Amino acid sequence: MAKPRDAVSGSTKGIGVNGHPPTPALSVEGLTKDYPGVRAVDNVSFSIARNTVHCLVGENGAGKSTLVKMLTGALRPTSGTMTVRGAAYAPGSPHDARQGGIATLFQELHVVDQLTVQENLTLGMERSRFGFLVKSDLDRRAVQTLAAIEPSIDPTMRVSALSVAQKQIVEIARAASSGASVIIMDEPTAALSEREVERLFAVIRRLRETDVTVIYISHKLDEIFALGDAVTVLRDGRHIATKSLSDVAGQPELIEMMIGRSVFQTYVPRPSVTDEAVLTAQGLTNHRLKSVSFHINRGEIVGFYGLVGSGKTEIARALFGADTVSGSIRFKGKPVERSPKAAIRSGIALVPEERRTQGLFTSLTLRPNISVMNTRRLSTHGMLRSADERAVAAEYVHKLRIATNSIEKYAEKLSGGNQQKVVIAKCLFADADLLLLDEPTRGVDVGAKTEIYDIIRELADKGRSVAVFSSELEEVLGLCDRIFLLFAGTLEAEIVNGPDVDVSHILHVVTGSGRSVAP
Amino acid sequence: MSESSPAIPNRPACGPRIAQFLRTYYIYFVLLLVVAVLSMANLDRFDLFERGNFLNPNNIINILRVSAPLLTLAGAFTLLMVSGYIDLSVGSAMGLSAVVYALLAINGVPFLPAFAMTIMVGAMLGAINALLVVRLRITPVIATLITLSLFKGLALLLVEDGVSAIKSGGGRSMPAWFNDYGREGVLLGLPMAFWVAVLVTIALIVAQSRTLLGKYAAATGGNPTAAKLSGINTGGIVALLYVIVGITAALAGIARSSFMSLGDPLSGDGMELTAILVVLLGGTAFSGGEGKVLRSFVGALIIMALTVGMLTLVPAYYQTLVLGTALLAAAASNHLVSRKETAS
Repeated sequence: MAKPRDAVSGSTKGIGVNGHPPTPALSVEGLTKDYPGVRAVDNVSFSIARNTVHCLVGENGAGKSTLVKMLTGALRPTSGTMTVRGAAYAPGSPHDARQGGIATLFQELHVVDQLTVQENLTLGMERSRFGFLVKSDLDRRAVQTLAAIEPSIDPTMRVSALSVAQKQIVEIARAASSGASVIIMDEPTAALSEREVERLFAVIRRLRETDVTVIYISHKLDEIFALGDAVTVLRDGRHIATKSLSDVAGQPELIEMMIGRSVFQTYVPRPSVTDEAVLTAQGLTNHRLKSVSFHINRGEIVGFYGLVGSGKTEIARALFGADTVSGSIRFKGKPVERSPKAAIRSGIALVPEERRTQGLFTSLTLRPNISVMNTRRLSTHGMLRSADERAVAAEYVHKLRIATNSIEKYAEKLSGGNQQKVVIAKCLFADADLLLLDEPTRGVDVGAKTEIYDIIRELADKGRSVAVFSSELEEVLGLCDRIFLLFAGTLEAEIVNGPDVDVSHILHVVTGSGRSVAP
Repeated sequence: MSESSPAIPNRPACGPRIAQFLRTYYIYFVLLLVVAVLSMANLDRFDLFERGNFLNPNNIINILRVSAPLLTLAGAFTLLMVSGYIDLSVGSAMGLSAVVYALLAINGVPFLPAFAMTIMVGAMLGAINALLVVRLRITPVIATLITLSLFKGLALLLVEDGVSAIKSGGGRSMPAWFNDYGREGVLLGLPMAFWVAVLVTIALIVAQSRTLLGKYAAATGGNPTAAKLSGINTGGIVALLYVIVGITAALAGIARSSFMSLGDPLSGDGMELTAILVVLLGGTAFSGGEGKVLRSFVGALIIMALTVGMLTLVPAYYQTLVLGTALLAAAASNHLVSRKETAS
């Protein structure tokens, strides 16, 4: 993949703005967003030149998504101002943002499958007389815009017949023809094949010629070098740099700006790790996974680290029997029957990614939430022994230091960290020998995070095995004995954790650039 | 890292085109099939209307006359379901309208004012549904179950004690014109009620294909988030559709009441199930976004032909069971079709 170099040299023309008055397409000044106890975006100021592709990078939690939400009107800033082409801009809703000239291409596509391409292009902007649709300039302009950026899409086709990539292009054409001067694209290549990514890039480049500025958010650094004119780096909510990409020496420099000197929780090797494989997976393959093989030892904490869409969740769900997968999984020497029920019986428990929708019964109290996976143990002839259930719930509330005044408190009333502890308690009570934790500390405050890490270590010390699926590097580096690096459904590398782990090597691998870089 | 993979195909290949053709036109084949089977069946026991062949003109006229209420309702019900919503109260709204219309007529109000006032009542009933669903955000099924009960209760209340319906007797009599709307042939031997159903359907076909309402209904049902983000007032669209359904329910009530010469509060009972059956049969997606007014109209013709046919072939008390089974089949095939759509 030799393209990054060319693109960088070509990108200077975008920055230079030949002769035009230098009104930026978009600028933000002192933008800050506070959440209770957290400052997600901290006094960020930068501006974006017109008709460029401006990349926004940063690790998870750097503040990218909060910034984008403020730009698209989904969140109001605590303080600070935004300007679009010199005019003040303070959107109160996504619709306001569109009126203000900023359109967003979300990861979740907002096209109507049941309508034709043409109908989608003008949706919500039709001209009408007495309620009857009237053909207008807009129809012609929208179709022309689409033809200009992707001539292969027939405007009379139904959108349901298009691929994801083509639907994206329809959304882009709609944004461009509706007069958007800035289009924000949030991880647009997450669901695309390589061939489709190239098409999308061609579309974005043509877009730049038509007086549209693109804000491009991606974890994949090679994409940024292939496409971008300039880049803004965020870290811990703060603005680190805004640079022309031709002034960035390469991916190592970018990675350094992204991770900075942030202090990683130091990993302490744990003596409980054994060589006795408790789970062996061979050639796991499904729609997302490509022949993934690994083993997990008794008493070990392993980490699966990768970006969004790298296949972490899919591996967790496959091991738990929640998704179909081909390949073999052996647990304690026996093949595993593929269903969540069988997995729980044989001693595998999953703490799912979305705690509120997949892990908790938010409308129930703590007591039934904790006992739900193993009520069999608490019942006689199908009748629940409620005294025993209460005792178990109280025991786990105490053990995991769940902050609550009663086991009859509704789960939805707890803080994120305590909710997560309840989900973990549920899995512990299921007597799991292998605990699968998908993003165990997402949306959890720092204090609770440390406590959850302690719980995990304690479990492993007692001879249980734990697999942590995480997109937070710090978490995996601080916690795991071995780390599997994932990229696009492939297990790219296995790393034994220790003091001399090469962080930039890990980032290279999981951003996909490690594939082509010779070791 | 493949350098060249084949371009993404844009047009469906030949096989899917045939499938698409069948999906679009199957309803007409079903109608032909039903008519063909019924015209071959022995209808000697068919003494409800007239003995003889199914295709006998008088017989056809009879079927279309009794079909008028369902035909009036089917189109509006389709648009509502395309937008992703449902109205279970149509039967009760129809019964209440029938009672109101009969009461007005029996108390000396002339045809046109009685007609107009009943339609206004229907529009109000639709507005009440819209209020519950759009403004108070009650789940459509629950909201319209509530109004199903409310409207029916109101209709029963309007009928005097000891009587089952508003009808002639006790010194009062229905005016002479009362039957004309639903029975008296005005064109091709078919009554006003049938032609109003045709006009309503044509108006809704035009609305669906040529107006903002049709497009926005599809967008609201297809992808509500996208519709809202495009600045479409989805709540307003849904409210308008509930009112239109209310109006067609009133028209259906008038047609039924005129045909039967009485205002029966229970005359619309079960209409919601028949309407759902007809709309599903016409290929409207239960999940919204998809569906055509004309196809539901044809679906209604099929159901009415079958219902009349059933009268001759199976005992009456089997009909509800057959209706339920047909509904199951329609829902299952609907599910299969929509699954195929998402899989492709």
